[in-house]
Amino acid sequence: MQVDYINPFIESTCELFTTMLSSEAQRGTISLASPEANPREVMALIGLSGMARGIVAISFPVNTALGMVNRLLGSDTKVVDDVVSDAIAEFVNIIAGSAKARLSGNDRPPIDLSLPTVVRGSNYTVDYPSGSTWIEVPFTSDLGPFTLRVTFEMKPGA
Amino acid sequence: MKALVVDDSAVMRKVLIGALSRAKITDVDQATDGVEAVSATEATDYDLVLMDWNMPNMLGIDAVRTIRANGKSMPIIMVTTEAEKSRVIDALKAGAQNYVIKPFEPAAIVSKIQAVLAKANG
Repeated sequence: MQVDYINPFIESTCELFTTMLSSEAQRGTISLASPEANPREVMALIGLSGMARGIVAISFPVNTALGMVNRLLGSDTKVVDDVVSDAIAEFVNIIAGSAKARLSGNDRPPIDLSLPTVVRGSNYTVDYPSGSTWIEVPFTSDLGPFTLRVTFEMKPGA
Repeated sequence: MKALVVDDSAVMRKVLIGALSRAKITDVDQATDGVEAVSATEATDYDLVLMDWNMPNMLGIDAVRTIRANGKSMPIIMVTTEAEKSRVIDALKAGAQNYVIKPFEPAAIVSKIQAVLAKANG
């Protein structure tokens, strides 16, 4: 994965926080994701296909996920329920959708998105497909920390 | 004034219903995919439809085409993460009146709803 490809995903994440959550997400140091890294308690994943292939995964501690959803809805939810999962899925959908538009621009056919998937719990591991390179970006915000992971390749000729 | 909100995300439907409320539209039905949207528009005459693009069973763009093929002419605003210019053009060709790209600021979508309704009723 070219490191440059991560920038649209970072920009999209920051835009989501600014426009819909009245917050500011600040990124930390970009690194290769370690297979041994412990995922946070709530993780949303979405696939990219068509002129590119990749996966966007964004993972949150419970308190960050709750803070984001409560900020968006003006609610006071205290447990990760279906509403929180739904919101987290929508967040990764928005981030991936916004980033893919930045990546394809107006010159390439649009990249397609899969429907998002959410994993909840504290006792799971994520096994990355062999050969894939994942870039990891930690973020901080007033709603709490979270982590963005992306693997992405444009198809040859795209 | 009656509106239909179509999105597979319950949270996004709630956000959009809030935006409609700020635009003084409180009589709102919900659909979770394109198939439900088409059925709802066959059963009820809506003054406005807010339509997501990526949904299970039937994409929003296909639902727009079907609704128009069924002779329905209410304003439809696409509210979607699909931000590429070609997608916007496809939606407008299919019969959508306007296009809102997620993420959006709540005030922005309220003003877009008001503008589309003013044009439709003007």
